Amino acid sequence: MAYFVVQRDLPGVTPEILKSAGMRAKTCCSEMTDEGQSVRWIRSFFLPETAQTHCYFEAASRDTVEEANNRARIPFTHITEVVEMTPDSV
Amino acid sequence: MKDTELAAAIAIALAKKRNRSEIGADELLLGCLQVISRFGVVQMGSWTFDLEELGVDWLDNPERSEAKVAYSPLAVDLFDRAARIATADGSSRIRVSHLLAGFANEDEGLMGELKRSHGITSASWRAAVARAWSARFGKDMSDPQEDGSEAGDLGDYLTPEEAAKALSIHVQTVRAYVRSGKLPALRLAGERAIRIRRTDLDTVLEPLVPQT
Repeated sequence: MAYFVVQRDLPGVTPEILKSAGMRAKTCCSEMTDEGQSVRWIRSFFLPETAQTHCYFEAASRDTVEEANNRARIPFTHITEVVEMTPDSV
Repeated sequence: MKDTELAAAIAIALAKKRNRSEIGADELLLGCLQVISRFGVVQMGSWTFDLEELGVDWLDNPERSEAKVAYSPLAVDLFDRAARIATADGSSRIRVSHLLAGFANEDEGLMGELKRSHGITSASWRAAVARAWSARFGKDMSDPQEDGSEAGDLGDYLTPEEAAKALSIHVQTVRAYVRSGKLPALRLAGERAIRIRRTDLDTVLEPLVPQT
Protein backbone atom coordinates (compact mmCIF):
# COMPACT_ATOMS: atom_id res chain seq x y z
CA MET A 1 0.00 0.00 0.00
CA ALA A 2 1.16 3.51 -0.75
CA TYR A 3 0.25 6.99 0.41
CA PHE A 4 -1.17 9.67 -1.86
CA VAL A 5 -1.99 13.33 -1.43
CA VAL A 6 -5.02 14.69 -3.22
CA GLN A 7 -4.78 18.43 -3.77
CA ARG A 8 -7.87 20.52 -4.23
CA ASP A 9 -8.54 24.18 -4.96
CA LEU A 10 -11.77 25.06 -3.19
CA PRO A 11 -12.34 28.83 -3.27
CA GLY A 12 -15.28 29.84 -1.13
CA VAL A 13 -15.46 26.49 0.58
CA THR A 14 -17.22 26.38 3.96
CA PRO A 15 -16.64 24.05 6.92
CA GLU A 16 -20.00 22.46 6.09
CA ILE A 17 -18.98 21.68 2.51
CA LEU A 18 -15.77 20.13 3.82
CA LYS A 19 -17.76 18.06 6.32
CA SER A 20 -20.13 16.90 3.59
CA ALA A 21 -17.22 15.95 1.32
CA GLY A 22 -15.57 14.10 4.17
CA MET A 23 -18.66 12.00 4.79
CA ARG A 24 -18.90 11.15 1.09
CA ALA A 25 -15.20 10.25 0.92
CA LYS A 26 -15.49 8.05 3.98
CA THR A 27 -18.50 6.13 2.69
CA CYS A 28 -17.06 5.69 -0.82
CA CYS A 29 -13.73 4.41 0.56
CA SER A 30 -15.62 1.98 2.76
CA GLU A 31 -17.66 0.74 -0.21
CA MET A 32 -14.63 0.32 -2.45
CA THR A 33 -12.80 -1.57 0.28
CA ASP A 34 -15.79 -3.90 0.59
CA GLU A 35 -15.61 -4.39 -3.17
CA GLY A 36 -11.98 -5.47 -2.85
CA GLN A 37 -10.22 -2.21 -3.75
CA SER A 38 -8.68 -1.19 -0.46
CA VAL A 39 -8.56 2.57 -0.05
CA ARG A 40 -8.54 4.60 3.14
CA TRP A 41 -8.93 8.31 3.71
CA ILE A 42 -6.38 9.10 6.40
CA ARG A 43 -6.73 12.81 7.08
CA SER A 44 -6.99 16.21 5.44
CA PHE A 45 -5.53 19.63 5.98
CA PHE A 46 -7.24 22.82 4.88
CA LEU A 47 -5.00 25.77 3.97
CA PRO A 48 -7.15 28.87 4.61
CA GLU A 49 -4.74 31.30 2.95
CA THR A 50 -4.91 29.52 -0.39
CA ALA A 51 -8.31 27.80 -0.05
CA GLN A 52 -6.64 24.50 -0.83
CA THR A 53 -6.98 21.14 0.86
CA HIS A 54 -4.42 18.36 1.03
CA CYS A 55 -6.13 15.05 1.62
CA TYR A 56 -4.07 11.97 2.41
CA PHE A 57 -5.18 8.52 1.30
CA GLU A 58 -3.72 5.03 1.58
CA ALA A 59 -4.32 2.72 -1.39
CA ALA A 60 -2.66 0.29 -3.74
CA SER A 61 -2.64 2.70 -6.65
CA ARG A 62 -3.24 6.26 -7.74
CA ASP A 63 -6.16 5.09 -9.87
CA THR A 64 -7.93 3.71 -6.83
CA VAL A 65 -7.62 7.04 -5.04
CA GLU A 66 -8.89 8.85 -8.13
CA GLU A 67 -11.88 6.54 -8.38
CA ALA A 68 -12.78 7.08 -4.72
CA ASN A 69 -12.74 10.83 -5.21
CA ASN A 70 -14.77 10.60 -8.38
CA ARG A 71 -17.37 8.41 -6.71
CA ALA A 72 -17.55 10.86 -3.80
CA ARG A 73 -17.84 13.65 -6.37
CA ILE A 74 -15.13 15.75 -4.77
CA PRO A 75 -13.12 17.86 -7.24
CA PHE A 76 -9.31 17.72 -7.23
CA THR A 77 -6.39 19.19 -9.12
CA HIS A 78 -3.60 16.67 -8.51
CA ILE A 79 -3.08 13.25 -7.02
CA THR A 80 0.51 12.53 -6.11
CA GLU A 81 2.20 9.64 -4.35
CA VAL A 82 3.97 10.72 -1.17
CA VAL A 83 6.52 9.17 1.15
CA GLU A 84 5.65 9.22 4.82
CA MET A 85 8.13 10.70 7.26
CA THR A 86 7.57 11.15 10.97
CA PRO A 87 9.79 12.36 13.83
CA ASP A 88 10.13 8.75 14.92
CA SER A 89 11.41 7.67 11.51
CA VAL A 90 14.46 9.93 11.43
CA MET B 1 -20.50 2.27 11.84
CA LYS B 2 -22.35 5.54 12.55
CA ASP B 3 -25.98 5.93 11.54
CA THR B 4 -25.19 8.18 8.55
CA GLU B 5 -22.56 5.79 7.24
CA LEU B 6 -25.07 2.96 7.55
CA ALA B 7 -27.69 4.99 5.67
CA ALA B 8 -25.14 5.72 2.95
CA ALA B 9 -24.15 2.05 2.72
CA ILE B 10 -27.82 1.07 2.32
CA ALA B 11 -28.26 3.79 -0.32
CA ILE B 12 -25.22 2.53 -2.24
CA ALA B 13 -26.49 -1.06 -2.08
CA LEU B 14 -29.91 0.07 -3.33
CA ALA B 15 -28.38 1.98 -6.23
CA LYS B 16 -26.36 -1.09 -7.19
CA LYS B 17 -29.41 -3.35 -6.95
CA ARG B 18 -31.33 -0.96 -9.19
CA ASN B 19 -28.45 -0.94 -11.69
CA ARG B 20 -27.98 2.80 -11.31
CA SER B 21 -24.67 4.48 -11.98
CA GLU B 22 -25.43 7.13 -9.37
CA ILE B 23 -26.73 7.19 -5.83
CA GLY B 24 -29.74 9.47 -6.09
CA ALA B 25 -31.89 11.29 -3.59
CA ASP B 26 -34.41 8.43 -3.53
CA GLU B 27 -31.80 5.87 -2.50
CA LEU B 28 -30.43 8.24 0.13
CA LEU B 29 -33.90 8.86 1.57
CA LEU B 30 -34.66 5.14 1.65
CA GLY B 31 -31.30 4.50 3.35
CA CYS B 32 -32.17 7.02 6.06
CA LEU B 33 -35.67 5.62 6.51
CA GLN B 34 -34.36 2.07 6.75
CA VAL B 35 -31.90 3.10 9.47
CA ILE B 36 -34.70 4.46 11.64
CA SER B 37 -37.19 1.71 10.77
CA ARG B 38 -38.28 -1.17 12.91
CA PHE B 39 -39.58 -4.33 11.28
CA GLY B 40 -39.67 -2.46 8.00
CA VAL B 41 -41.90 0.31 9.28
CA VAL B 42 -41.02 3.94 9.96
CA GLN B 43 -43.16 5.93 12.35
CA MET B 44 -42.66 9.66 12.11
CA GLY B 45 -45.19 11.90 13.74
CA SER B 46 -48.60 10.72 12.59
CA TRP B 47 -47.18 9.21 9.41
CA THR B 48 -46.38 5.55 8.93
CA PHE B 49 -44.13 4.54 6.06
CA ASP B 50 -43.93 0.89 5.06
CA LEU B 51 -40.57 0.20 3.43
CA GLU B 52 -42.11 -2.68 1.50
CA GLU B 53 -44.65 -0.31 -0.05
CA LEU B 54 -41.73 1.92 -0.99
CA GLY B 55 -40.10 -0.96 -2.84
CA VAL B 56 -37.52 -1.92 -0.23
CA ASP B 57 -37.06 -5.51 0.84
CA TRP B 58 -35.91 -4.65 4.36
CA LEU B 59 -35.06 -8.28 5.15
CA ASP B 60 -32.94 -8.59 2.03
CA ASN B 61 -29.23 -9.08 2.55
CA PRO B 62 -27.90 -7.92 -0.81
CA GLU B 63 -25.13 -9.87 -2.44
CA ARG B 64 -21.83 -8.11 -2.67
CA SER B 65 -21.65 -6.27 -5.95
CA GLU B 66 -18.66 -4.75 -7.68
CA ALA B 67 -20.79 -2.37 -9.71
CA LYS B 68 -19.44 1.16 -9.45
CA VAL B 69 -21.76 3.87 -8.25
CA ALA B 70 -21.04 7.52 -7.53
CA TYR B 71 -23.00 10.12 -5.59
CA SER B 72 -25.32 12.15 -7.82
CA PRO B 73 -25.16 15.97 -7.75
CA LEU B 74 -28.46 16.00 -5.85
CA ALA B 75 -27.09 13.59 -3.25
CA VAL B 76 -24.10 15.92 -2.87
CA ASP B 77 -26.49 18.84 -2.33
CA LEU B 78 -28.36 16.86 0.31
CA PHE B 79 -25.15 16.06 2.18
CA ASP B 80 -24.15 19.75 1.99
CA ARG B 81 -27.58 20.75 3.31
CA ALA B 82 -27.38 18.16 6.10
CA ALA B 83 -23.97 19.52 7.10
CA ARG B 84 -25.43 23.03 7.41
CA ILE B 85 -28.32 21.68 9.50
CA ALA B 86 -25.84 19.79 11.71
CA THR B 87 -23.93 23.02 12.32
CA ALA B 88 -27.15 24.86 13.14
CA ASP B 89 -28.02 21.99 15.49
CA GLY B 90 -24.69 22.34 17.29
CA SER B 91 -23.48 18.93 16.14
CA SER B 92 -19.99 18.32 14.82
CA ARG B 93 -21.23 15.27 12.92
CA ILE B 94 -23.80 14.77 10.19
CA ARG B 95 -26.50 12.47 11.53
CA VAL B 96 -29.37 10.71 9.80
CA SER B 97 -31.71 13.22 11.45
CA HIS B 98 -29.86 16.05 9.68
CA LEU B 99 -30.06 14.24 6.35
CA LEU B 100 -33.78 13.60 6.82
CA ALA B 101 -34.39 17.24 7.75
CA GLY B 102 -32.48 18.16 4.61
CA PHE B 103 -35.15 16.48 2.50
CA ALA B 104 -37.80 18.95 3.72
CA ASN B 105 -37.56 21.17 0.63
CA GLU B 106 -37.41 18.35 -1.90
CA ASP B 107 -40.50 18.22 -4.09
CA GLU B 108 -39.28 15.73 -6.68
CA GLY B 109 -38.80 11.97 -6.62
CA LEU B 110 -39.77 9.82 -3.67
CA MET B 111 -39.86 12.73 -1.21
CA GLY B 112 -42.25 14.56 -3.52
CA GLU B 113 -44.47 11.48 -3.69
CA LEU B 114 -44.51 11.14 0.09
CA LYS B 115 -45.35 14.82 0.46
CA ARG B 116 -48.27 14.55 -1.92
CA SER B 117 -49.61 11.23 -0.62
CA HIS B 118 -49.32 12.14 3.09
CA GLY B 119 -49.99 15.89 2.96
CA ILE B 120 -46.47 16.61 4.17
CA THR B 121 -45.13 20.16 4.08
CA SER B 122 -41.55 21.28 4.57
CA ALA B 123 -42.29 22.54 8.08
CA SER B 124 -44.34 19.51 9.14
CA TRP B 125 -41.55 17.21 7.91
CA ARG B 126 -38.87 19.07 9.86
CA ALA B 127 -41.10 19.14 12.92
CA ALA B 128 -41.75 15.40 12.66
CA VAL B 129 -38.03 14.64 12.32
CA ALA B 130 -37.27 16.84 15.33
CA ARG B 131 -40.07 15.26 17.38
CA ALA B 132 -38.98 11.75 16.44
CA TRP B 133 -35.44 12.48 17.62
CA SER B 134 -36.59 14.33 20.69
CA ALA B 135 -38.73 11.37 21.70
CA ARG B 136 -35.97 8.91 20.92
CA PHE B 137 -33.03 10.67 22.50
CA GLY B 138 -34.55 13.38 24.64
CA LYS B 139 -32.51 16.18 23.16
CA ASP B 140 -31.63 17.76 19.85
CA MET B 141 -31.28 16.03 16.50
CA SER B 142 -27.62 15.17 17.06
CA ASP B 143 -28.82 11.96 18.77
CA PRO B 144 -25.88 9.65 19.59
CA GLN B 145 -23.16 11.41 21.52
CA GLU B 146 -19.87 12.30 19.92
CA ASP B 147 -18.28 9.20 21.38
CA GLY B 148 -20.85 7.08 19.63
CA SER B 149 -22.78 6.05 22.71
CA GLU B 150 -26.52 6.43 22.89
CA ALA B 151 -27.63 9.76 24.23
CA GLY B 152 -30.59 10.49 26.44
CA ASP B 153 -28.18 11.94 28.95
CA LEU B 154 -30.50 14.83 29.72
CA GLY B 155 -32.92 12.46 31.37
CA ASP B 156 -36.64 12.93 31.66
CA TYR B 157 -36.59 16.39 33.23
CA LEU B 158 -35.22 19.40 31.41
CA THR B 159 -34.20 22.86 32.53
CA PRO B 160 -35.88 25.71 30.62
CA GLU B 161 -32.62 26.15 28.68
CA GLU B 162 -32.56 22.49 27.68
CA ALA B 163 -36.23 22.58 26.72
CA ALA B 164 -35.58 25.69 24.61
CA LYS B 165 -32.74 23.93 22.83
CA ALA B 166 -34.88 20.84 22.21
CA LEU B 167 -37.63 22.98 20.68
CA SER B 168 -35.21 25.36 18.91
CA ILE B 169 -36.86 28.38 20.51
CA HIS B 170 -35.69 31.08 22.92
CA VAL B 171 -35.61 30.26 26.61
CA GLN B 172 -37.82 33.28 27.35
CA THR B 173 -40.47 31.74 25.13
CA VAL B 174 -40.28 28.55 27.17
CA ARG B 175 -40.67 30.57 30.39
CA ALA B 176 -43.66 32.37 28.88
CA TYR B 177 -45.26 29.02 27.97
CA VAL B 178 -44.73 27.86 31.54
CA ARG B 179 -46.17 31.05 33.04
CA SER B 180 -49.26 30.83 30.83
CA GLY B 181 -49.78 27.17 31.65
CA LYS B 182 -49.30 26.12 28.03
CA LEU B 183 -46.28 24.04 29.01
CA PRO B 184 -46.57 22.02 32.23
CA ALA B 185 -43.61 22.43 34.58
CA LEU B 186 -42.57 21.33 38.04
CA ARG B 187 -40.76 23.25 40.75
CA LEU B 188 -37.93 21.61 42.63
CA ALA B 189 -39.00 21.25 46.25
CA GLY B 190 -38.00 24.33 48.23
CA GLU B 191 -36.27 25.98 45.29
CA ARG B 192 -37.10 28.43 42.52
CA ALA B 193 -35.68 26.16 39.81
CA ILE B 194 -38.20 24.52 37.53
CA ARG B 195 -38.02 21.38 35.46
CA ILE B 196 -40.03 20.35 32.41
CA ARG B 197 -40.90 16.79 31.57
CA ARG B 198 -39.42 15.87 28.22
CA THR B 199 -42.64 14.13 27.33
CA ASP B 200 -44.54 17.40 27.87
CA LEU B 201 -42.65 19.24 25.12
CA ASP B 202 -45.09 17.99 22.50
CA THR B 203 -47.88 19.98 24.15
CA VAL B 204 -46.64 23.20 22.55
CA LEU B 205 -46.34 21.67 19.09
CA GLU B 206 -49.19 21.40 16.67
CA PRO B 207 -49.23 20.31 13.04
CA LEU B 208 -49.36 23.09 10.47
CA VAL B 209 -51.64 20.95 8.36
CA PRO B 210 -54.46 19.04 10.08
CA GLN B 211 -53.55 15.36 10.10
CA THR B 212 -56.16 12.86 9.00
